[in-house]
Amino acid sequence: MPSLTESESGRKTYWRSLNELGQTPEFRKFLESEFPNLAREMSGASRRRFLQIMGASFALAGAAGCRWPKENITPYARRPQNRTPGVPVHYATASEREGVATGLLVRSYDGRPIKVEGNPLHPDSLGGAGSLEQAAILELYDPDRSTQARQRTGQGATARPTEAALAALRAAVNAQRSTGARLAILSEASGSLILAEARDRLMAACPQARWFEYEPLSRDNARGGTRMATGRPLRPHTNFDQADVIVSFDEDFLHQHPAASANTRRYAAHRTADDGTMNRHYQIESTYSLTGANADHRYAEKPSDVPIRLLQLAAALHAAHVRLPADLVAQLGDLPEAPAYIKEIAGDLHQHAGHAAILVGPRQAPAAHAVAVALNAALGGEVVTYTAEGDPQRGSHMDNIRTLAGLLERGEVDTVVILGGNPVYTAPADLDFGAKLAKAGLSVHLSLFDDETSARCTWHVPAAHYLERWDIVRGWDGTASIGQPLIAPLYGGLTPAELLDRSLGGTADGYTLTRARFNGAFGSDQKKWESALHEGVIAGTAAARVTPTLSGDWSAIVPGARRQAGGEGYELIFAADKLHDGRYANNAWLQELPDPLTKLTWDNAALLSPNTARDLDVRQDDVLAIEVDGRKLSLPAFILPGHADGAITLPLGYGRTAAGGVGDGMGVDTYRLRTSGSPYLATGASVRKTRQTYQLATTQDHHAIESEVGNQEVFDRAPKLIREVSLATYKADPHAVAHLAHSLPLVQPFGDHAFPDKHRWGMTIDLAKCTGCSACVTACQAENNIPVVGKREIIMGREMHWMRIDRYYSTTTDEMQDLADPSKVQVRQQPVTCVQCENAPCEQVCPVAATVHDQEGLNVMVYNRCIGTRYCLNNCPYKVRRFNWFWNHHGPYHPRSDGEWAQQELYEVQKLGFNPEVTVRSRGVMEKCTYCTQRIAAVRIAARNEQREIAEGEIMTACQQACPADAIAFGDLRERTHRVAREQESDRAYVMLEDLNIRPRTKYLAALRNPLHDTPAGGHGGGHDAGHDDHGHEADGHAASHS
Amino acid sequence: MAVTVGEYDNTFETPGKRAPLVVGDHDFASVTEAVCNVNERPMREMPLIWYVLFGIAVALTGVLFGSIGYLFLTGVGVWGVKNPAGWGFAIINFVFWVGIGHAGTLISAILFLFRQTWRTAINRFAEAMTIFAVICALIFPGIHVGRVWVVYWMLPLPNQMAMWPQFRSPLLWDVFAVNTYFTVSLLFWYVGLIPDLATLRDRASGFRKWAYGLFALGWTGAARHWHRYERAYLILAALSTPLVLSVHSVVSFDFAVSQVPGWHTTIFPPYFVAGAIFSGFAMVLTLAIPTRALFNMKDIITLRHIENMNKIILLTGTLVGYAYAMEFFIAWYGQNPNEKFIFIARAFGPYAWAYWTMISCNVIFPQLFWFKAIRTNIAITFVISLLVNVGMWFERYVIVITSLSQDFLPSSWDYYWPTTLDWLTFIGSFGLFFTLFLLFIRFLPMIAIAEIKGVMPQARAGHDQADGGH
Repeated sequence: MPSLTESESGRKTYWRSLNELGQTPEFRKFLESEFPNLAREMSGASRRRFLQIMGASFALAGAAGCRWPKENITPYARRPQNRTPGVPVHYATASEREGVATGLLVRSYDGRPIKVEGNPLHPDSLGGAGSLEQAAILELYDPDRSTQARQRTGQGATARPTEAALAALRAAVNAQRSTGARLAILSEASGSLILAEARDRLMAACPQARWFEYEPLSRDNARGGTRMATGRPLRPHTNFDQADVIVSFDEDFLHQHPAASANTRRYAAHRTADDGTMNRHYQIESTYSLTGANADHRYAEKPSDVPIRLLQLAAALHAAHVRLPADLVAQLGDLPEAPAYIKEIAGDLHQHAGHAAILVGPRQAPAAHAVAVALNAALGGEVVTYTAEGDPQRGSHMDNIRTLAGLLERGEVDTVVILGGNPVYTAPADLDFGAKLAKAGLSVHLSLFDDETSARCTWHVPAAHYLERWDIVRGWDGTASIGQPLIAPLYGGLTPAELLDRSLGGTADGYTLTRARFNGAFGSDQKKWESALHEGVIAGTAAARVTPTLSGDWSAIVPGARRQAGGEGYELIFAADKLHDGRYANNAWLQELPDPLTKLTWDNAALLSPNTARDLDVRQDDVLAIEVDGRKLSLPAFILPGHADGAITLPLGYGRTAAGGVGDGMGVDTYRLRTSGSPYLATGASVRKTRQTYQLATTQDHHAIESEVGNQEVFDRAPKLIREVSLATYKADPHAVAHLAHSLPLVQPFGDHAFPDKHRWGMTIDLAKCTGCSACVTACQAENNIPVVGKREIIMGREMHWMRIDRYYSTTTDEMQDLADPSKVQVRQQPVTCVQCENAPCEQVCPVAATVHDQEGLNVMVYNRCIGTRYCLNNCPYKVRRFNWFWNHHGPYHPRSDGEWAQQELYEVQKLGFNPEVTVRSRGVMEKCTYCTQRIAAVRIAARNEQREIAEGEIMTACQQACPADAIAFGDLRERTHRVAREQESDRAYVMLEDLNIRPRTKYLAALRNPLHDTPAGGHGGGHDAGHDDHGHEADGHAASHS
Repeated sequence: MAVTVGEYDNTFETPGKRAPLVVGDHDFASVTEAVCNVNERPMREMPLIWYVLFGIAVALTGVLFGSIGYLFLTGVGVWGVKNPAGWGFAIINFVFWVGIGHAGTLISAILFLFRQTWRTAINRFAEAMTIFAVICALIFPGIHVGRVWVVYWMLPLPNQMAMWPQFRSPLLWDVFAVNTYFTVSLLFWYVGLIPDLATLRDRASGFRKWAYGLFALGWTGAARHWHRYERAYLILAALSTPLVLSVHSVVSFDFAVSQVPGWHTTIFPPYFVAGAIFSGFAMVLTLAIPTRALFNMKDIITLRHIENMNKIILLTGTLVGYAYAMEFFIAWYGQNPNEKFIFIARAFGPYAWAYWTMISCNVIFPQLFWFKAIRTNIAITFVISLLVNVGMWFERYVIVITSLSQDFLPSSWDYYWPTTLDWLTFIGSFGLFFTLFLLFIRFLPMIAIAEIKGVMPQARAGHDQADGGH
């Protein structure tokens, strides 16, 4: 079936929805001539019929994981095998970002993918899936996605059939058959076997064609560093199962890392001290990363000092008699005096040699990575291992884009094919890539969105989303997975491989290409294919380990790591956040996802430390003017305690101009300061305050509510809410967690409520495991149809997330004034959602009984009974109830609305993304976490029909399933042997706000920290409760009368 | 018609002799004439200021209903309410107006039962003010819900879902308390009006005669009528008396029964009742002072009346001040850290401006009424009555907003800002209140004519001394 949106007339048309498009005369005409039957169905807003057609045409899957490769429109008169309408089916697939695949399981209802989960069988997921993966559903159904090919000439953009673009490309390629010298391909990093094959075919046809690969956020420095040290590019893997001591130099291995899910799972497993031990994690970094927030010791250093610290560590290790290459040691002579902690880390590393890992982040120079290779080798063991990294011939991404820009500049290339990516937006500012691209005679951009790069190309071709395409991709450890489509391309999008195939005159579709490649690489055994589809991984395809041999010339390498700061001025750090390199800018779930540390939504800001802010006389929301190398940028300041002094972090990915209705104009484009010479760290920036201010939208720490008494109270209260003890304290006194706050005698005057013969659902959230990555927040949003409200509503404090991550700052000294010392700042994080109180304060105040208790102990919300008095919200001590102040999915301040009265309808395609199991709430009702009651019901019904008990782990809440750290346990508290019941009895378990006697079903397990020189804290256990003594023992007895 | 003597000081106590409650050379006929004149004079003879005020009030009423219309079309999000502060201006205004509505019934019922005869000069329009204030109050809980089209689910109506309201919720108690109060106050007011409506009927002709006659229920002034009337009035007074105490106690339960720090305090019921009477009397003064000047009622609403009301304001203002102090004491003595914090934060936190506005208006300025010179100074009284109104509104602001803004988990703390719509709705409610009040002044006797005659010396002709010993 050709795409529904192709326009034969080729006239310039723009539309914003399928609905709108469906009404254009051109489309009607086209439809009537092509599909007389369909025309009738497409005329109205019959979503049901539309779905049936769409579903029937492309979702006729056979056995699980196997889709009917023929693409016919068939009525649903006869039910296909294994398909019951309304019963979801899960398929394994894989997404790919920056050449690294993540294995996923996707739930599909009637042909619509609805929810993304991690694939537990995939080595890089282990069941977890981060926010970026979760948010793919919104991207798939984004009404701003490009729906058709466009040709751009001097006169503007014209909608054309994709075939016209392919014909133009085919002609250009044919003209260069057997040479290809004037043909260049710029691809995103990709591990796709299909694309590699297509590339080989193209290169065979046009041997002189140039193939470039570019990623703005690249791990090329590690590649370069390993090449320096060992002679070949390697990919380092850290085996956190064996790491007792982890020293990370600016590496955000829990968050901004291709294998973050698996890293988090393994790291977190060693943070609970179940066997009395836990890993110890040192983080040396400039910006405050999520990984740093979880460290036992974190040292904030200026970016230029980080590699020096690494070298100082090398020197200290040498001093501690760790055997390092002699010529490396020779280079460590005249280092500046190391801070005391370096020696302590070295001692700790030495003591744990064989079970220690030194990690270096992708922002650090290749030389630093090279030194890390040598240090890890010297420490021995199997903690850090290596596999081969891609194509050793490939130049670095920065070199690639620079070379291509040069070729374009000199006119040596006149056909450019850009496969994905958005280089016009992401290329270093000094290259002025957009202007140079315009010099190419034919430029074709294959992408999901008609974006900045498309606007500079002569052709834009819509790409297939990864949920719409066949592919074979490789994970971080090299494991191959089949990328299986969940839905036929909504707009006839192509994959990069398909585009190349077409340009060579081929006609094969993705399935044929994939199946052929699979047969070629892994054998044509049908069983194997089916198993690979079903499992989501192709067994035994992980990359072989490489044992590195140090061959580097340290006298050349080490000076590279000692690159000194550019003297005067501030240092800039270009960092990725939730929008990644900007590709997710139009994804409202991610835009509205609070940043784990700053809690910022919808904007980026210059992150700086309180001291730097004081030096600059800057307060939050003041606009800064930053200038580096003659490039200027203004953006608002955000004060982040714990950020290194003298440095400023600039998150990338914002300020898009052609992202779509959601992402355009949100934040500031910091790529404009980023040059090919210093893409990650820049020095010598001048920063000054301007007179402007800009209102940032945060979901916590609202500026106006701050006061001196309040700040002190927050600082004092946080340790009781988010409890944390040191390992030694915990071991010395198992009840240390309980002692952190005085518990009062709680009386149940009318006896406990019995829940006879019923399940008693409960949850535990292990704060020792939780890293704060916020995957649960997005998972909850996707599962429960939670609306996005837009920036203005966030400023108004009306975010709708049922799950949030509370974040408080504390200090290693328990002195509030030390929040100004970046290395003493610690972060406490805690996911908070409805805790399902047995004595729920919300229930008794509702005048219409819209929130009541069910027999299994859930505090349920009856949406259609709710009249919206909001009394429950007031009386909820956790403030987890969320109110629909407007028709939130398309309210007046929704990012897609544009005015106070705009009560616009949703685009039809957006409606496809709703979870049909969950009510879409109307204006004026309260909502909150339900423990995913729809998931409970589904399993309960199935178990009842099969007359069996519900097994442990059979019901997973969305947050639990997404959690890469496995921090959340859920289940029936009656089953004493189940994990959730055991954890609720744990010594670390505590109830937040226990003295209100509201008896929550969710308990938290206190976090642990494992500092070096840990000694048991006496008395109250924590030893970090400055405000504690004010309350006193004798006084607490009286508070009982209040509760 | 009697001569108006202007500001005659009848506040001096002469031993053995009652101070006159109607001054000037009034007889029964001249009192009737003086009161009915406002209702009977041709429209063009109404003072210009009445027209101006009425125009403004009607315009503001339009603003009120316009704002409500916009609210209904768009959603509660047009207000400043937000995640920690689920309640904002609507609930503040509700409590404020219910509080205003307290003086009327107190004057009609409690002062009646206590034989405080000076109440007769002010009870009629204090009661009218009560009715109008409660009307304004009742608007807010109705419109503040998220789905206004099903707001009737708060009422215990039989329905096909067999769903009753949830009787443990203080909001439901509110529905009963305020509606009962409104019904009884309306009835009380109407019963008191019957003899005066008959007077107007007898003096009128044409449509007015018919209209007043309709509502006068055939009153002829027969002794039997008077007998029944007095009995009914006494019974209604007895019925209303507990309501004066109950309605604001129940309103305070909205807060006291919840567990929000700053709300969850046992002192709330008496404290709210005292505050309500305080604000109610301030509003009576705010209305009475211009009205008596405008319509030559200084003989009937005399300086003594004003001084008496000032004394009540002094008393209730002091009670309110005591309650403020006691809240702090209990927060310290109770050692509940959350409660302790919220009271410190009220005084020194981000809302300190609102708190100190409240303290100065409610506690400091009314203390000036210890001085008789100030109690009997009309201008200062008027200013203080306005300040008390402001202060009592801010009291509700402080209670509702500061407590909700900074409760248990600091992560959800947020500052509450009212939006333009909040202000328009609030100001609009004053428009409605004054529209109703100005219409009342024009069309109904603002003084209880029949009753006031009972406290004039002529009524006691012949047994002056016997009665004076009361």
